[in-house]
Amino acid sequence: MKKILIVDDAVTVRMYHRQLMESLGFEVEEAENGIEALEKGLVRHFDLFLVDVNMPKMDGYRLVEEMRKTPELQAIPVIMISTEASEQDMEKAYLSGANLYVVKPANVDELQTYAALLAGGE
Amino acid sequence: MGLKKKQEPNTGAIAVEQRQPSRDYAGLVKSLESGDPMKRRWAARDLAAWPEAVEKLLTALQDETEHPVREAIFDSLGLIGGEAVVSGLIPILRLEDAALRNGAIEVLQSIPEAVALHIIELLNDQDSDVRIFAIDILQQLAHPRTPEWLLSVLKDETHVNVVATAVDRLAEVGTPDMVSDLEAIKQRFPDEPYLAFAVDTAVRRIEEG
Repeated sequence: MKKILIVDDAVTVRMYHRQLMESLGFEVEEAENGIEALEKGLVRHFDLFLVDVNMPKMDGYRLVEEMRKTPELQAIPVIMISTEASEQDMEKAYLSGANLYVVKPANVDELQTYAALLAGGE
Repeated sequence: MGLKKKQEPNTGAIAVEQRQPSRDYAGLVKSLESGDPMKRRWAARDLAAWPEAVEKLLTALQDETEHPVREAIFDSLGLIGGEAVVSGLIPILRLEDAALRNGAIEVLQSIPEAVALHIIELLNDQDSDVRIFAIDILQQLAHPRTPEWLLSVLKDETHVNVVATAVDRLAEVGTPDMVSDLEAIKQRFPDEPYLAFAVDTAVRRIEEG
């Protein structure tokens, strides 16, 4: 079973994304911010990170930058998801190392398709 | 006779973090511009005792690239508090730097009385991202008017992401009399599955008390 880490400071958003990803057959874990995500990623393997941008303690951009510098995490695909829709935000996400940038509210079918593709098949 | 090399003092091989215990305001401001991040960090921390340092700290914040120094500046601004800090941090909400924005939000959450004077203005900002950040500030702001401000967002806001953020926050601070306003959101945004989920979650949590 593929494993996904959902990283978001909003509990309702984490619950919603958990439901979407579990319906695809993912095993889901959650983190409230970038620091907690790095800690979880270092002790357990994940096939995909779904990462919010604006979070306290460590934001999504910095989390992905740290992942790309960390040998154990650098190859894990990342979908960044944000309310911010400007080209600057997207560019910053891709420069930080994200594989995909999705603007909220995300289309459910698209988000599920991207997640399945990036995590790879069994 | 050859030139004799001047004897250099032995500074030692091990760098030790040293803090000068008593420094005046001018010295701290000078250290805030030092090339040494450790000196800047200590200066930022010690300037928490100087309310007149707000402008210097805010200026330093926008040029600072080291996260520990930024954190020290934010900590000191939070300790100083007051209108000057709030007025200085609000423009940071418009910057592209997410770490700076989130640091500003955390400080603003910690000074409720001074922030309260600006909340309505922020909730009516032209930029939907700033309106979302205003709700993020309300997330932790221990102010008695927080539920009332969030309810005004439910009734007046048209941007789906701003409404979604308010619904999420009302799951924490909402009261039973707000359930009908929450349910009305599903009628206003019938094609947004996340909003329907968030409203149902908020209502359930409010009803569970």
